[in-house]
This record gives sequence, structure tokens and C-alpha cells, in this order.
Amino acid sequence: MKRVGLPRALIYFKFADMWKTFFKELGAEIIISPLTTKKIKSVSARIAPNEDCYSTKLFFGHTMAIKDQVDYLFIPRFGSENKDCVGCPKFIGLAEVLRSMFPDLPPIIMPHYNMAKGRDGKLSFFIKAYRVGLYFTKNPFRIIKAFKLALREHKQYKKELIIDEESLLKWEQSTLSLNDPPVLEENERMLKLALVGHSYVINDPFASLNIRKILQNQGVDLITSEQMPRNLIEQQIDKLNFRLYFDYEKEILGTIMHFIESKTIDGIIHIMVFSCGPDSIAGEMATQFSKRDPEMPLLQLVFDELTAEAGLRTRIEAFIDMLRRSTKEESIYIATKVHV
Amino acid sequence: MSISFPHVGTFTYVMESICYEMGRKDVVVPNKPSYKTKQLGSRHSPEWMCTPFKMLLGSFIEVVERGAFELVGTLFIDYCRLGYYVPLYELILEDLGYDFEFLYLNFNQPLGFIKEMKRRTTGLTYWKTFRAFQIGWIKNRFIDLVDKYLYHYQAIEYNKGSAQAVADKAYRIIVETKGMSNIRKLRKLVTKMFEEVDIDKKADPLKVAIVGELYAVVEPEINLDIMRLLNNLGVISYTPITFCRWIDIGSRANPFVRPTFKTAIKKAKPYVGYRLGGKTQESLGYAIMFKEQGWDGVVHLYPFTCMPEIITRSIIPQVSKEHDIPILSLVLDEHTGEAGLKTRLEAFIDLLDRKKNDTMKIGNKI
Repeated sequence: MKRVGLPRALIYFKFADMWKTFFKELGAEIIISPLTTKKIKSVSARIAPNEDCYSTKLFFGHTMAIKDQVDYLFIPRFGSENKDCVGCPKFIGLAEVLRSMFPDLPPIIMPHYNMAKGRDGKLSFFIKAYRVGLYFTKNPFRIIKAFKLALREHKQYKKELIIDEESLLKWEQSTLSLNDPPVLEENERMLKLALVGHSYVINDPFASLNIRKILQNQGVDLITSEQMPRNLIEQQIDKLNFRLYFDYEKEILGTIMHFIESKTIDGIIHIMVFSCGPDSIAGEMATQFSKRDPEMPLLQLVFDELTAEAGLRTRIEAFIDMLRRSTKEESIYIATKVHV
Repeated sequence: MSISFPHVGTFTYVMESICYEMGRKDVVVPNKPSYKTKQLGSRHSPEWMCTPFKMLLGSFIEVVERGAFELVGTLFIDYCRLGYYVPLYELILEDLGYDFEFLYLNFNQPLGFIKEMKRRTTGLTYWKTFRAFQIGWIKNRFIDLVDKYLYHYQAIEYNKGSAQAVADKAYRIIVETKGMSNIRKLRKLVTKMFEEVDIDKKADPLKVAIVGELYAVVEPEINLDIMRLLNNLGVISYTPITFCRWIDIGSRANPFVRPTFKTAIKKAKPYVGYRLGGKTQESLGYAIMFKEQGWDGVVHLYPFTCMPEIITRSIIPQVSKEHDIPILSLVLDEHTGEAGLKTRLEAFIDLLDRKKNDTMKIGNKI
């Protein structure tokens, strides 16, 4: 049985179910790198190019963690899944950079898929998936079945992740919790915050320094930018003079703009990665919009590989303190961007 | 209501010409960026935004303070952040309290582009507006020609400063020429002007090509006039990366001329198979092409945190080793110091000199 390796970083967090189903149905043994640890981080800091963003550096570490256990690495060159948006150029270039910098890695399967600017469509998606399937089996029916099941699994995952507008309204007005149930002390009310950032930072406990756990222990219930209903985000992005064309950044900016306008939750925490290109744009726009309508508290945190937990905890405890004490009449302008 | 644009190296002359052709006389020409421009831009920009954003912002603030109202801004969808500068500039300049209006020239919508341009002319027709743009790209070819001669002759001239004087005269002549028949004579005129420069015809200087990100290569303030520094060390420098590649529609539509950037992209395909923004494929391809044409070395310039160029930089060691080309990669931002840059350049040129004259095999990537 051939072994295929999936590094647990960057777009893995968006397409994990699809890829895992596909390779399982083809009969391959899937090896996924473990959750980020200190060792992976120190390997990343040593071998990755200095100016890359923190998340890309972790990708290098994850690849190194599994390179000796697999026959193939699967690192697709993903451009975009929309006609008029693009992902980050790093997603497209990463496989080739790895191949160039470390020639002794196992062979990398790197299909290229880019729907932006009218290049690839549904048919070419199927053909490229078919070619990947041929690495593992020669049976065409098996590949087609694997493809169908993978797409179905991906659709199901998105359906379970993204909540619709009604549920959002119910959550805003009630005391039911959406994600992990928060730990509350006596007579403390549950705070509702939006945790906004890239999916590969929010869902990675080490890279985000366990921020979800910290918030949970402070009595906070969260909604993340991944879970926001799509049509609300598109409505907000249409209000801009020129639509933001970075796909995963739209989620982030759309969520922030929506809550600044609707004011239905207690606050927003925006996690940015140092040296992330699209984050610098969205971060600045969020700051400017917040300045013009300061009623919604916004905390912007900048993460990099030198971030320490103590500093982060202090900032978050201070923010939560301010939220618990504030009453709605005083609108405090607290869009603070803090390099943690 | 004066129109203005930021300073982007010698492309400023092209933009000035287009504005004059559009019939506008109230053009605020931006001055060359200085240390103050860099400071102004960095103070009001997000922390790790790419340096071209900061310097263009500084340039915009300066022209708005001098009275400009209409500002030329381009938008497009690409992997690079450049297509989204203008909405951010609007928010920042509004926050600072200035009064202005941005032209929204969207490269993805050619009809909207021409419409917006026509609105800003002094009542010209659609055909005349398009003609203004056409004259712009034709004059761009000649500005590039002047640059090529300047950075060639300046390395081997006898009287320091003669080539620059001729170039300055040539730039003004190109901007002020009117009428297609006069413009077509410009190529011969420029060549004749440069024949007056006294040069050492027997010299065999080193030849170094400059590749990398567009703004970092073209604007002398960010790269500390690296092409002149190389000339002062007696080395000919040339860059194939100019605005011509983007706006010269005439050349691209011409079936008999194969643009060089397409050859460069083809050569880079084994390393970077698909376009991922900026000049990634072009930089790698040009490095290989120039080596094949007998050039001695390549300098790769890029601003700090430029997303596509970080990928180029990571692949350059492999290209350098496989094709035996010395390549020096330099990262630039608003804090780059001249002394450090000069030291590295001098060391690089020293190695190239020894490699050429002693044919010693020394390590070829710094």
C-alpha cells in the first residue's frame, strides 16, 4: 500500500475532509503530520526563509516531520476556487520552493488548480484529480467513485461548519453557546465575541497559543470567521468601492465589517500573522472602519514565532475586563493593534 | 482641479506626457522622492505593508499638499497587493483630512478604463483619448532606450557626468515632442545625442543585469540608485523589467515581434510552472537568458515582505547552481543603508572580476 503524506498546515485546514476521503477510497495509507509542537516550530524557524509568514514557516516544519514516513507528499498548487478572487501566491509556489530547496524529499504530487481569471473549471478539476488518482490505482471506476465521495464529504463539511442567518440571530440574542461551552463564574454573564483570522491560525492550537482555551476559561463564547453565513459577507464586501480580491481575506474583513455595523455582539478579536500580505490590507481597513464607527470594541493582535503566552494572556484579560465593566452608553474607541 | 500622479522612476515622464496629451495643462509633477517622503509614507502606513506602498503614499501626500486634486490610481485583480493600493490610500488620505479624488483606472475592464480617462480630459473624443494612451506607450519605448544608453555609457565615459547631462536633455525632448511624425524620429535623435558622449571604446567592462520587483528596480530612491553605483564601479547595468511590458499594447499586438518576457517565462517553466504574481517567472527566466547572452552576473532586488518575490528568492540558489550564474539577492526597505549596500556590491563585483579574469571557480551565490 502506498503511503501519502499531508502536512497539517495552510490549506489543509480548508480541505482536510475532501483529501482524506479521496485517498482513503483509492486505497492509500494516509499519514498526516501531528499537531504543531515546539520541535516542529524550532525546525521551521531554522530552515524556512526568514521573510515568510509564520504559517508558511510552520508548513516547512510539518513537511520535515513526515518526510521519512511516506512515499509521496501531496502539496497541491492551489490558486483559487472563485473566478474573481485569488488565494495567496504562497499556496501556488510552496511545492516548487520545497522541491528546489530540499532535493532529497520524497516525490511531491503537486496538481495545479486555479479558477481565477477563467482558467480551470469543473472538467479540468476532474481531470487533474484523475491524474492524481493514477498514482495509486489503475482502476478508473475506483478513481471516479473516490472523486464523487470526496466532493460529497466536502459539501457536508461546509454545510456543518457554516451557520445560516437564522441561527446567527438566535445565538446573538440567547445564552446558548455556539462552539465550546465557556466556563463561567458565579453571576457572570457569558460574553459573545467574534474570533476573526485565518483558518490555519485559529484552528491550530500551538500557532494561536491556545487562544480558544484562554477565552473559554474567561467565560467567552465564540463565533469564528469561518462559520459566518456567506451571503452576509458578500453583502458587506459589495459595499466597498472595489471588491477585495483575496478569497480568505474576504471572510475576515466581511465578518469585521458586519459586526461593526450590526453591533449585536460584545466585541471582536482579530488575529493577524506578521508578514502576511493580505492581513496587512485587511488589518488597516478594519482599523479605519473601526475609527469611523467606534462603538464595537476591536482588539487586533499580531502573532509571529516569538510571541509568548504571558503577553497574550495579559492583553486578553485586560480586554475582557473592559468589556465586562463597560455599559453601552459609553462607546470607547479601543481598536488597539498590539504586537504580541 | 489639478491632476497628479506619484513618482515611479523614469515612468513619471511617460505619465506626464499622457497628461499633456489629454489636454490638461494643470499637471502637478511630483518631485523626486527624498528621505522625507519615505518618512511621511511609513508613518501613515500599516507596519508590514510592502515598501512601494509606503513610498507611493509619501509621494501622494506630497503632491496633495502642493495642490493636486485628481490622483491617478490603478486597480486590478492579481496575486500581488498592488491592485488594491488605491482603496487603502483613499481611507488613509481621508483620515488625514485631505481633499482629493482618485481616478479609478481598472485594468481588468478596458472599456471602463477608457471611459474614466475620457472623463478627465478636456473634452476629447474616445479616439483622441485612446491616442493619448498610445502616445504614452510609444514614448515609453524611447524613455527606456535613453535609460539603456545612459547606464551603458555612464560606465565607460571619460568625463564624469556627460552621459547624465545628455540623458536629462533627452528626457525633456521626449516629453515635449508633439505630433506622430516627430515622435517617430525620436529613436534616431536619441541615438545621435548619445554619440556625442566621449567613451572608452576599447574597454571591456563587466555586464550585470538587474531583475526583481518592478518598483524596486525602477525607482532610484528605494534601491539607492544601484544602477549608478554599478556604473561608478565601471560595470554596465541594464534592466529588462520596465513598465513597457505592461502598457505596450502595440508591441504585444504585433505578430512579428516576440516580446522578451514570453521567452523568459518559457525558460523559467521547469522551476515555476504557473504564474503566481509579480515578476517571479520573468526574473528567473531573464537571469538564465542573460547568462546565455554572455552577461557576467545578475542582481535581484525586491522589497521586504513582497509575497511573490520571496518565492523567487528561495528558488534562485538552484538556478544559480544549475546554470552557473552569479546572482546577488538584495532585500530593500525604507531603512536600507547606503554603506551596507555599497559594501555588498563591491564584494560581488570583485568576485565577478576575479571569475572573469582568473577563471577561478569561486562560490557563486552570496
